[in-house]
Amino acid sequence: MYNMFTIAQRTINQLIHDQRTIALILIVPLVIASLIGVSLPSKDILNLTLPAILAMLILFFGFLLSGIAFLRERSQGTRERLMASPVSRLDILVGYLLGFLLFAMVQTLILFFYSVYVLKVAFHGELWQIIVFQILIGILAVCLGIFISAFARNEFQMVQFIPLIIVPQVFVCGLLFPVEQMPDYLQWIAKLLPLTYGVEGIRALMLQGKGLLDIGKDIGVLAAYATGLMVLAGISLRRGNAT
Amino acid sequence: MKENAIAIEKLSFNYGHLRVINDISLETPGGVSFGLLGSNGAGKTTLIRLMVGLLKPASGSVLCLGKPPSPANARNIGYMPQLPSLYNELTVEQNIDFFARIYGMRDREKRSRRVSDVIKLIDLWPRRKEQVMKLSGGMKQRVSLGCAIVHQPPLLFLDEPTVGLDPELRVHFWEHFESLTRAGSTLIISSHTMDDAAHCQQLVFMREGKIIARGAPAELRAATGQPDATLEDAFLYFIRRGEVKANV
Repeated sequence: MYNMFTIAQRTINQLIHDQRTIALILIVPLVIASLIGVSLPSKDILNLTLPAILAMLILFFGFLLSGIAFLRERSQGTRERLMASPVSRLDILVGYLLGFLLFAMVQTLILFFYSVYVLKVAFHGELWQIIVFQILIGILAVCLGIFISAFARNEFQMVQFIPLIIVPQVFVCGLLFPVEQMPDYLQWIAKLLPLTYGVEGIRALMLQGKGLLDIGKDIGVLAAYATGLMVLAGISLRRGNAT
Repeated sequence: MKENAIAIEKLSFNYGHLRVINDISLETPGGVSFGLLGSNGAGKTTLIRLMVGLLKPASGSVLCLGKPPSPANARNIGYMPQLPSLYNELTVEQNIDFFARIYGMRDREKRSRRVSDVIKLIDLWPRRKEQVMKLSGGMKQRVSLGCAIVHQPPLLFLDEPTVGLDPELRVHFWEHFESLTRAGSTLIISSHTMDDAAHCQQLVFMREGKIIARGAPAELRAATGQPDATLEDAFLYFIRRGEVKANV
């Protein structure tokens, strides 16, 4: 536990020192929400879109920040140094998760309050349940970022994974078009991708007044993805694997 | 007689089809500075990475302080990689404190005292609150050394620790390395400069993933048969001897 918290604290310290990144993490969701708020033609569409943006942004930022941070660990040699130390793979994974989830939650809260109180998006649920659900997506996103970073050799390559890993999910998750109105094969693809369940779940929590117990399927699929990705991320951190 | 700090047996390692460590066996006594000397590409860094457990051997075995490299055994080992390998966004103090913590120094007061001592030792006290990214290359090397020695390990691996240092700082580093061996630590130091080699108590000459000679600097010089031979002469002598043997 001590090593996990030490790594989490270091991750937080690193990001806090990078003030431009902090500013972007905090401002970008507000800019996106504002653009959506002024550009969407009806309140109903806005109500459907902004909760989906909550799920999408945590996946996007969690993936990108953890992926690039991990890649930097490798290119700067700190990963090698860490792997030669007494910390375990679990310490590294959970340490990173704790560090990044703090920022993801701050981002979620900012976007949530801005959506509900400024843009007047409908809200019939409970905030703590939304936070728990977002944490689940955050875990998935951070593990995905760590795992994918093993296939990139520099930041430029890592960014190239966004159109491959994130953008297809955004297109078919129901954020832009209802999944039911898509061709059958796209609906099948949507069912295979985690963001679809993230969007479905968060809409149920925010708009339909449902609780976490009512969205067991969404939570189950996301938890399965998060667990699988955590195992893959752990494998990518194996000692004796340093390159 | 002191027990061996390192025991390597028939160690080999390949990068793809290229054999970079070729059937090396080696034992090093504890409490000495042990130099791995060779030109670039000789396999020094790969050998160190195998010894700290960052790479898995294709065959053979490594024991550090009597145990195979593992996270459980890593607390007794310090490792300074060739690159400074620091968190650039963090300050000098935060970097050294982070490594002190992950190497098990949990008592806040003792750790703080030790971190301060190390920062003074590497002569960066006035800049302890500065982000590492704002430091010069030589200063980063010093911070990197600080991170490796903060937990006072009995076995220390230093991969080209003096590269990029000015002569004054190099002397300062070596004074510290010698004080560590006097205190009982074992230092495994890779280098390609004869200046570093002259400071080591024991040396291994490496070429193309093999050990071509080993001994104390004076023994290696004496092996050339020339009374005024330098270590450079000795290194060239063993390379040529190896080439002659290969051609026979």
